[in-house]
Amino acid sequence: MALGKKKEERVKPSYMKLTPKTVLLYVAIILFCVIVISPLVIVFSSSLRTPGNQTSPLALFIEFSGASYAKAFNSMNYPMELINSFVTTAGSVLCIVIFATMAAYPIGRIKTKLARFLYFFFISGLIIPSQMVIVPIAQTLNRLGIPNTRFTPMIMFITCSLPFSVFLFSGFMKGLPVEIEEAAYIDGASLGKRFTTVVFPLLQPAIISCVITQGLWIWNDYFYPMVFISKKAQYSLPVGMLQFLGDKENPAQWNVLFAACVLCALPLIVVFLALQKQFVNGIAAGAVKG
Amino acid sequence: MAQQTRKKRKGGNSSLIFSNKMYVFLIPALAMFLVFWIYPVLQLFYYSITNFNGINYNFDFVGLKNYQKVLSNGTLTNSLKNTMIYAVFTVTLSNILGMAVAMALNTKIRLKGLFRTCAYFPALFSAIVVGFIWSYVYMPGSGMIANLLSNIGMNGAAFNPLGNFRTALYAIAIVEVWKGFGTTMIIYLAGLQTVDESILEAGQIDGCTEWQLISKIKLPLISSTVTINVILSVIAGLKAFDYSFIMTNGGPGKSTKTLMFQVYETAFTDLKMGRASAFSVMAFAFIIVITVLMLLYLNKREVEL
Repeated sequence: MALGKKKEERVKPSYMKLTPKTVLLYVAIILFCVIVISPLVIVFSSSLRTPGNQTSPLALFIEFSGASYAKAFNSMNYPMELINSFVTTAGSVLCIVIFATMAAYPIGRIKTKLARFLYFFFISGLIIPSQMVIVPIAQTLNRLGIPNTRFTPMIMFITCSLPFSVFLFSGFMKGLPVEIEEAAYIDGASLGKRFTTVVFPLLQPAIISCVITQGLWIWNDYFYPMVFISKKAQYSLPVGMLQFLGDKENPAQWNVLFAACVLCALPLIVVFLALQKQFVNGIAAGAVKG
Repeated sequence: MAQQTRKKRKGGNSSLIFSNKMYVFLIPALAMFLVFWIYPVLQLFYYSITNFNGINYNFDFVGLKNYQKVLSNGTLTNSLKNTMIYAVFTVTLSNILGMAVAMALNTKIRLKGLFRTCAYFPALFSAIVVGFIWSYVYMPGSGMIANLLSNIGMNGAAFNPLGNFRTALYAIAIVEVWKGFGTTMIIYLAGLQTVDESILEAGQIDGCTEWQLISKIKLPLISSTVTINVILSVIAGLKAFDYSFIMTNGGPGKSTKTLMFQVYETAFTDLKMGRASAFSVMAFAFIIVITVLMLLYLNKREVEL
């Protein structure tokens, strides 16, 4: 797998010759990218100003100061929120991978009506927006005596990710050859052993895809923390941003607001730039394989 | 044991390796799914005939009053209409944009990686950050677009898409497209890369125009990718909540109140959990009908192509 990729990179692709048609293509795509990216560039340039700098944000990079960042950092309680975000996302994704691969094993392997029914049973969860069930979900948590802690949203993150993850893993599982498992069975491996040592490692591409797609929405979600968490110390990064809700139409606060936006998005940007290839392949594989 | 033999006779699971013992692996996922998903969905029906307010558990049963109220006060039809417009607009635009960019990037173009990153980048941001950024972009007077318009001598002060009940819904739908089309594009790009180069060459030799290559060869070959992308964006579109909540708060008037926003507002702002549940039940029925119809149609089309 890794070897194949390296080979691909070594072969220099032959680029298109510059004809009027290709120039037009370049112009179109550059223009398009500029339009898409321009709000982000303006936000980044404004965030580098001092909070009091009221010049139009359209004048790009006229001042470089960390003052807005310092202000946003302090009012957000950034380190705490970062840790909360990290713990809830990592914990949820870990549980999802374990639960969903386990559930996909019988669903992908057993060929009976029951297994087929269970497959559609899980997938049905994809159709209904879970936020719509928020009233009884809140009551269910209440009745089960589950307190509102920073970990409560994890329950919903895991539950809501199950339909897609089971769909992804069982689809991937159907493409795996059964011969290896048959060999393991003949060698006397137990069911649990077969799952952990044979099947789970083979699922690796799907696991990467699951971690990226589910991790992305969980990291960015503010809805469940907003409903379930009431203490500020337990906020994750996106919920913490809600305190700036009143500032968005106040130009005097923009520099600090934009600094907060950059701080909120920064961890994911760093991860994305470091693992770009896995990101792109993972997102595509999640949709195409499933 | 008796159960197992009966199943075998029925032609059920008779595999030695993949025995019914495997169903044990389902327990954690199934337990979570049943307790935190299926059970609440069923409870929705129960709450929908009460006047529960979220705090006081001594609520009364009010029969179908909630349903009548939701239907008669027009919130359901209004938010259904808004959600449909929003979904159709975002699905169409993000799929057209995503496919166009994917086709452009699937040529032998330089800096492909950079362009791809640019197009995908907005997808990394949390909806709340995106909502803040676009509140600035749309801001009348000093916002990005208004400022640009003023700079080129047009009337920037009159530009206020979020303040007009005719344009607000489309304005927030564009935000959704901005954030979402990059993901769609990446999926199309992966689909296009599976198209065999030799088929395209054969088409070129037979004298296909560029447009014929796209519509007669590429599109039919990636029809399953189109299906999955349309399904994913319809699911996202029907969940519309974020930008109504962050950018417009449902306004102006009720022009950006979507199904999800209406449920949230009825439940947590008006504290009418019973009515919100009745609302959800009816919205569900609608979403399920739409999705099933769409799946049937897309499946049929895929076979035809």
